[in-house]
Amino acid sequence: MTMSRQGVQPTEVIDRAAKLRFRWNGKRFSGFEGDTIASALAAAGEHIFSRSMKYHRPRGILTADYWDPNLMVQVGDDPNVRAGHRLLESGMDVRSQNAWPSLNRDIKAANSLLGRFLTAGFYYKTFMRPQWLWPTYERVLATFAPGGKIDLDTPHAYHDKRYTHPDVVVAGAGPAGISAALAASSAGASVLLVSHEHAVGGHLRYSSDAADQAALTELRAALDASDVEVLTDSTVTGRYEDNWLGIVQRNHPIAVERLIKARAKTLVAAPGLIERPYVFEGNDRPGVITPGAARRLINLWGVKPGERAVVFSANADGDAAVADLERVGTEIAAVIDGRTGGSVSSTAGSSRAVEAVMVNGTNGAERIDADLLVVAAGWTAPTSLLNMAGDRPIYDPTAARFFPSDPPSNVLATGGLAGDADLDGLRQHGAATGRLAAARAAAVRHRLQSRTARALPVDGDEPAWAPDERAPLGRDPHPELYRADTHGMVDMSEDISSKDLVAAAHEGYDSVELAKRYTTATMGPSQGKLETVNTVAAIAEARGETISEVGTTVWRPPYAPLTLGALAGRMFEPVRVSSIQPWHEANNVSVIQAGQWLRPDHYGDPAAEVRNVRDNVGLIDVTPLGKLDLRGPDVPKLLSLLYVNKWMKLGVGRVRYGMMCAEDGVVLDDGVTGRLGEDHYMMSTTSSGAGGVWEWVENWLQTERPDWQVHVTPVTTAYASINVAGPKSRELMSRVCEDADLDAEAFPYMTVRQATVAGVEDCFMWRIGFTGELSFELHVPAGHGLHVWEALMDAGSDLGVGPFGLEGQRIMRLEKGHFIVGQDTDGLTLGPSTGLWSLIKLDKDDFAGKPELAWAADRSLPMVVAIQPDDPDVVPEEAAQIVRGNTNEILGRITSSRYSPTLNRSICLGQVEPDLAAGGTKLTVLLESGERIGATVIDHHAHFDPAGERLRG
Amino acid sequence: MADTASPLRSTSMGPAFESPVVRNYPTSEGGNLTLTDASATAKWLVRADADGPTADRLGARFGSSQMAPGGALVLGSRPGEWIIVGTPGEVSAAVADLDGLEAQEFMTVLDWTHSRAMFRATGVSATRMLEKVCGIDWSDHMTPDGAVLSASVALTTCDLARNDVDGTPSYLIFCDRSVGQYLFDALIDAGNEFGLTVTASSAS
Repeated sequence: MTMSRQGVQPTEVIDRAAKLRFRWNGKRFSGFEGDTIASALAAAGEHIFSRSMKYHRPRGILTADYWDPNLMVQVGDDPNVRAGHRLLESGMDVRSQNAWPSLNRDIKAANSLLGRFLTAGFYYKTFMRPQWLWPTYERVLATFAPGGKIDLDTPHAYHDKRYTHPDVVVAGAGPAGISAALAASSAGASVLLVSHEHAVGGHLRYSSDAADQAALTELRAALDASDVEVLTDSTVTGRYEDNWLGIVQRNHPIAVERLIKARAKTLVAAPGLIERPYVFEGNDRPGVITPGAARRLINLWGVKPGERAVVFSANADGDAAVADLERVGTEIAAVIDGRTGGSVSSTAGSSRAVEAVMVNGTNGAERIDADLLVVAAGWTAPTSLLNMAGDRPIYDPTAARFFPSDPPSNVLATGGLAGDADLDGLRQHGAATGRLAAARAAAVRHRLQSRTARALPVDGDEPAWAPDERAPLGRDPHPELYRADTHGMVDMSEDISSKDLVAAAHEGYDSVELAKRYTTATMGPSQGKLETVNTVAAIAEARGETISEVGTTVWRPPYAPLTLGALAGRMFEPVRVSSIQPWHEANNVSVIQAGQWLRPDHYGDPAAEVRNVRDNVGLIDVTPLGKLDLRGPDVPKLLSLLYVNKWMKLGVGRVRYGMMCAEDGVVLDDGVTGRLGEDHYMMSTTSSGAGGVWEWVENWLQTERPDWQVHVTPVTTAYASINVAGPKSRELMSRVCEDADLDAEAFPYMTVRQATVAGVEDCFMWRIGFTGELSFELHVPAGHGLHVWEALMDAGSDLGVGPFGLEGQRIMRLEKGHFIVGQDTDGLTLGPSTGLWSLIKLDKDDFAGKPELAWAADRSLPMVVAIQPDDPDVVPEEAAQIVRGNTNEILGRITSSRYSPTLNRSICLGQVEPDLAAGGTKLTVLLESGERIGATVIDHHAHFDPAGERLRG
Repeated sequence: MADTASPLRSTSMGPAFESPVVRNYPTSEGGNLTLTDASATAKWLVRADADGPTADRLGARFGSSQMAPGGALVLGSRPGEWIIVGTPGEVSAAVADLDGLEAQEFMTVLDWTHSRAMFRATGVSATRMLEKVCGIDWSDHMTPDGAVLSASVALTTCDLARNDVDGTPSYLIFCDRSVGQYLFDALIDAGNEFGLTVTASSAS
């Protein structure tokens, strides 16, 4: 097989003035802009491109397009690149795959000698026993894994994503697809035309027929003048419910791939037909190609595919290949006509090239010397998108291919998929399909508009669903050519032969679905486009049945392989920050991610931050603390319903702590709620519970108490929230507050006041705190949060003011014995287990969780308790188990633990069995190291200031 | 009752408003897409019955927007919920126009200025930019000028309004203030391929 670049072809797509240099297995080559990798190599005389998966047989061009199973190469660090489709670029480093040490001398080709043992199921049968040897098998087999090499250090490529909602998506840009798109657009539809190839035109692109070229020019001009959006080098990879389509757009200017998620009102499937290889002995020998491959090489890239050819033709495409070959000087040794009974039996030659073809033609059986065999044995209808829409295509033996059966009415087929016609007939059918698609899309559009609040008002009633009045395409007779009188390769991606399939059928895998999985036929990179029907035919032959009786496998997404990067698309990872974040970042903050929030964990020394709060005054940014603005006359009833305690008499300016339980009595959240005005309250929640509590509140209001007059608005980030804590906090606040009396009697513990702070109006302050110190929780309109924080820092410089982060707060809240919902409680912790029985008011009429809590009143429950290890220097890990003595009987666990810089000892909260909850109880804690330590339950949750004298100020 | 004595009542008092967008962006020229940080724009939230006197007074039905007589833009963001945006004066005038309605129905008004970041994307490519971050159908018949909707934009919950400028597509995008910087960056990333100019304004 000798391939070479020829003179300028009128239809070629290469720019001979733009020379591109690249490397192929380390050697320098050149091609032209517009070449594919394969065409450039073919033009340079290369005819072996890969080694087969299992037997490592040399493989050459078969189809010279995206689906060619023999043209998988490595480009740089990108494995499994389709050289038949990927356009050549300057500087490309192209290497062959699946061969060692080289493409020409591949030691693993010795597998061919073991071919008779490597039949389908070889791995399943051979490596099952002895089971203990599997790890060894696995290591060895891994060295035989096909495909390219993945470089784990490859930087992540940029993948893009886009959504679109066209009226009509046309999948396939041949003459029928283009005509459909144009007609739909003319009818007023928005249209997205998706071309799998680098340019629109389908088979017209590589036709040398003048009428075809004139039509292509006309269609392209019409497209240019239309409103049709055209995507080239793109594939509709899947069709899902309601015409939700996945489209992968390759080689986008800003991204390696772009995944387009399209919601089409109607889908037109116009993928054309795919040439089906013929099965015979030696059908995978380099030099055996399809007529499409010959015509692409000649007409698109000016490459002569061989010097002396045998053409086996059963259709017009084979005949057209003869004409093209003759035009570029290929000697036609013979044309064997499959329509009149001619056949090809085998090829002869080295493993690397065809040297002769054994045929049965008009002269009977004969051997014909040739370096090229062009086989036109028929087509496969790529019905994938129809399959995905629920259609089960029907086989027509007179046409030797499958046709649509009964797809949903918003999925329409045209072009070769739907039938046969001359070019005008295909265009007319495409146009009729486009008009029908537009009409049906108009009905869908009307329906969607009428149901969407924001949409333009619709005129009149929904249009009737347009009837399908298209004149059906014909079906040209075609001989059923699947296998000759010899056996050969059915699946060149997976190295599966017709013998393998016959053997599988005889072993009992006679269902096509079973045989597919047992042999892996159709499961390679070609996704069955070349292999499916031949596989079915081989099974049918083995079973003595027809193809119709065997049926096909079901094509599922994706239509064409796509990368995981394309599926992932752009990574959206929202990050929340408070308005004070710039100050944190400028002041040595160590950030911790809490959900979506970035929060200050500490500023270098959390223990020092704790001491400063205990001795002076500290500021912490608590903006993520959940805040719900509640308004309306029925807010007290809502609070009484959701909290376990009473709320009907909370006075204006007062704040109350509350605990929420779910309907099963399990602790849901806690926080304080203050009454800001007559019918105006502010509820605070835990930071992590902000979203969940809002949903909880809305759920009760909307589904259980829709008659209550309450408006709930989440205002968590409307405020920058700052806790000012420490014995000097009142002094600091008095320096920045302009219109509030901060005296302990005027502004006592558990009250709320509004004030102007550092010139910012409409701030409000709670006299509460989580640290156990005198503190003011200040909420500032967020757009002034940074200003107020900086003002506090400036005003308190002589008071020793400093920031503290979450870690310092965690230490101080543990010193004070405040539990954290979700850390010291879990999904089974009932309200009474927190030790807050007195808070739960079972005498209320009703509240969430009341029946369960009433039930719990008579039960002994695990309890949250404060624990101190006997050795003050040992800090048990959080989640360390509390066990009985030297046994492994679990009696509880440590839920929070820290070393207290205030008390100079380790302190904990934990959950224990009820009989261990009393103060003074001795516990055994099993550390992660296996060591057991002693610990003691203390009388109060608070390790520090149990009387609360400091926080009341 | 209109409880306008909110702790969020005034956005015009005090020091300068700090936008959630704190990064600086180079200004490019020649693009056909402009992204503006308009977070300082006054934004108020009104809630009342979807078919009551407040709804009648505000005019904008759910899913649509309408200019108030004083110049504020009223967005019908949800059934029974409206966002009023504009300069503080424009918004105050629109809110003042609701006085008295609290006696007729349960109605509340809340200053949302500090709660929401607000961006404006304007240009012939604005729709294409949004297609990259949001799954909504932006076609003229489904999202015409004046349309208002809620949607996920780059995985953040947003209110959006189409508010064309001199016949050029323009969109207002509202999100929680805390994700403002993230979303602004995501929009810039989406819009860069169209030639994006980034600007900031103190009011829309």
